[in-house]
Amino acid sequence: MALPRFRQPSILPGFGPALGFTVFYLSAVALIPLGVLVLRAAGFGLGDLWSLATDERTLAALRLSFGASLIAALINLVFGVLLAWVLVRYRFPGKRVLDAMVDLPFALPTAVAGIALTTIYAPNGWIGQFLEPLGLTVVFTPAGVVIALVFISLPFVVRTVQPVLADLDHELEEAAASLGASRLQTFRKVILPALTPSVMTGFALAFARSIGEYGSVIFIAGNIPYVSEIAPLLIVIRLEEFDYDAATAIALIILIISFAALFAINLIQAWTRRRHGHVL
Amino acid sequence: MDLSIDRVTKEFGDFSALHEVSLDIASGELIALLGPSGSGKTTLLRLIAGLEYPSSGRILFGGEDASRTRIQDRRVGFVFQHYALFRHMKVIDNVAFGLDVRPGRDRPGKSEIRDRARELLRLVQLDGLEDRFPSQLSGGQRQRVALARALAIEPSVLLLDEPFGALDAQVRKELRVWLRELHDATGHTTVFVTHDQEEALELADRVVVMSQGRIEQADTPARVYDSPASEFVYRFVGESSRLKAAIVQGAVRMGGMDLGSRVEGVQDGPADVYVRPHAVELCEAGAGFLTGKVDHVRRNGGRQIVSLSSPAGGLDAEASLAAQIVPGDAVGFRFARWSLYREGAPLEAAP
Amino acid sequence: MSFSAPSPRVTEGPITRAVLIGTAVLFLAVFLFVPLAGVFFEAFRRGIGVYLAALTEPEAVSAIQLTLLVAGISVPLNAVFGVAAAWSIAKFEFPGKAMLVTLIDLPFSVSPVVAGLVYVLLFGAGSVLGPALEDMGIRVLFAVPGLVLATVFVTLPFVARELIPLMQEQGTASEEAALSLGAGGWQTFWRVTLPSIRWALLYGVLLCNARAMGEFGAVSVVSGHIRGETNTMPLYVEILYNEYNFAAAFAVSSVLALLAILTLGLKGLLEWRFAGELAANRRH
Repeated sequence: MALPRFRQPSILPGFGPALGFTVFYLSAVALIPLGVLVLRAAGFGLGDLWSLATDERTLAALRLSFGASLIAALINLVFGVLLAWVLVRYRFPGKRVLDAMVDLPFALPTAVAGIALTTIYAPNGWIGQFLEPLGLTVVFTPAGVVIALVFISLPFVVRTVQPVLADLDHELEEAAASLGASRLQTFRKVILPALTPSVMTGFALAFARSIGEYGSVIFIAGNIPYVSEIAPLLIVIRLEEFDYDAATAIALIILIISFAALFAINLIQAWTRRRHGHVL
Repeated sequence: MDLSIDRVTKEFGDFSALHEVSLDIASGELIALLGPSGSGKTTLLRLIAGLEYPSSGRILFGGEDASRTRIQDRRVGFVFQHYALFRHMKVIDNVAFGLDVRPGRDRPGKSEIRDRARELLRLVQLDGLEDRFPSQLSGGQRQRVALARALAIEPSVLLLDEPFGALDAQVRKELRVWLRELHDATGHTTVFVTHDQEEALELADRVVVMSQGRIEQADTPARVYDSPASEFVYRFVGESSRLKAAIVQGAVRMGGMDLGSRVEGVQDGPADVYVRPHAVELCEAGAGFLTGKVDHVRRNGGRQIVSLSSPAGGLDAEASLAAQIVPGDAVGFRFARWSLYREGAPLEAAP
Repeated sequence: MSFSAPSPRVTEGPITRAVLIGTAVLFLAVFLFVPLAGVFFEAFRRGIGVYLAALTEPEAVSAIQLTLLVAGISVPLNAVFGVAAAWSIAKFEFPGKAMLVTLIDLPFSVSPVVAGLVYVLLFGAGSVLGPALEDMGIRVLFAVPGLVLATVFVTLPFVARELIPLMQEQGTASEEAALSLGAGGWQTFWRVTLPSIRWALLYGVLLCNARAMGEFGAVSVVSGHIRGETNTMPLYVEILYNEYNFAAAFAVSSVLALLAILTLGLKGLLEWRFAGELAANRRH
């Protein structure tokens, strides 16, 4: 009797070494270190983990990170759809440059973004000087955190919606119009539902990225405990105090939140595939 | 509702898709726009629908100029080539869409909309599939949903863009018969685009043959087939052979023989004779009016098609299976019907 | 006729269009262009002399060198990993493949700070590995190996995720043809596979490099901020900024911003010129 084979037979060479190296490298660099963190957190027991996580300052930081990420992702949801729409549907001078610039937050080092945003939004900065008379202070407030997170998560919704919108069959819109739908009705009832899975995916990606963001936020936030201190920064602070347990507990919570966001993405995609018979 | 297309021209940039096209469509007619790709048939359909603006000319709906009426207000039932069903909506919601989006005062009640949608699904024989999504239907079923959706707005005209193009041969034939029955039952003025002549000739009251942005002929299927208005129509609709001929003092001469008909008031010079395979009669060599050599014989259903070469050019003839013909034979032939053209335009020939 | 966009009769009017385009441009201006312009403005504010002096400062030079060194090690490592992973995933069928693809993407969803933290836990004072290695004279944390590890972690998926979909799409026919013509395994890889993925590989390397040189959170946790020794350019920017040496902070930043613009330019060029030879799905 033949033994069940681990893989389908193939005449191509190199499977063993390639997969072996892949698994080894991935494990050594990412999986084992992450496992160590999870094991360490598991060692606390639920009670300790709970008390570490519900420390007042930690809770304030988590609340800020969660809330600011949510708001930033929502802002980018609206403007991301708008940007995708404009970039896919309209022709105007400078469009190419605009399209390329959307990826700037991916390419620009976060520390550079952080100090640039802080300078621009400072009360005497290029944009801050117009906000100050209105009583809007951005720097060293939660608003500053939101601004930095909007910057860092700007490309996600645009880049997930763009290809879907480009592939959207224009006949759908013509059909809606021929049936008497106004442009707004067509957008609301026909286009938006078709875009929803990609919009939600982009939203979740933007949120997950924002929850863990550090470099671009810490400069503009001012890091005032209980006011503008984000959770990732608190990890760094706890580390500097050699309080590894507290750092680990906060890290675990952030990990869980971002994995939940990714899990939601997978659910959205599975649902879309099942219902409409295609992937995003 | 009757439709009138009045000297409509449509240009896309430098490309001219339609030149001064005029066409009158009577209320309740079933019209086929037939032509090769690039002939302007889809553009004409989209202009009637209001999906494009004409560059010049007018389109009249029941005598009123609709050229500037928005597509939303035209009440055209448009069935798209790939159906354009809304994937995220159930079948019933697709059908109900046109009623759902009406402004408040014109919108029927929710239950009335549902009843109407159900009724239409019954009409297109899809009752029971209300709650499916389009991805769960076959091609033919999707086609019928698209049709029901277009009918829901009680259209003044029904427009179909290549309605059977995406279906396989068997389903195509069934739906064709069904569409004709549906048209006879509902009486909508209907225009459909096709590049399939068989479809056009079988289904339509009138066939509009188009080429290079112009209407070549708009006539009943029988007349389009039997009396093509131009050389293009002769070639495009049905099988045909083209033979070289000459007009000498009013007589039509071919391969040195006289065809026996006369044309009056036409200058001497070359002309083209067109003939359909079924109008070519084969006989003993020498007994016909010309003699040709058999190049090959192929079987086509219950008949055989004989390809000949003759001094006037190559031609195809239809023969019964009983005829014993093999390549290399010399056979005579004569024409039951033929048409004469010079530079694409018909010349009237009389015996 | 084929139409690439809905007919003009069913799209928005010119006013709606103008408003939408205007809003989009304004949004990008406020969030992207103004900050970017700010970097260069602040960098040159005190004159070109101050700018050049800030960049030729020994600490600046050592930060630039360290950044190049870290990226120079991390990027090739992740490129080799990406090719190996894509080769095994795209060209073979084996159980657990979907799982492996998900795990390769995992580092993208881990906060950079957490990425740094895991190495502190692994090699720090309280760990088993750290002191043991220290005894052997190998320092990981607060030294180059730690910086490389943290950088490798956060940039691990870039090349792999670019190559996997592309190589899956390409299938195995070319390789099978090469083998049937008598080519050996390495010959097949070098002469058939690699040429067909070179632009995608370059694309992945480009993005990987931009992130590697700009990474802040992860390296910040493992670096220990030893001046002139473990400060990469982004970390050096932070120090200068916190010392209120804004001109120098922005001078170093401007070099990083230039790198970002260059990356975007090359990326756009690759997408435009070799669209067909890059992965079909353009998710980030």
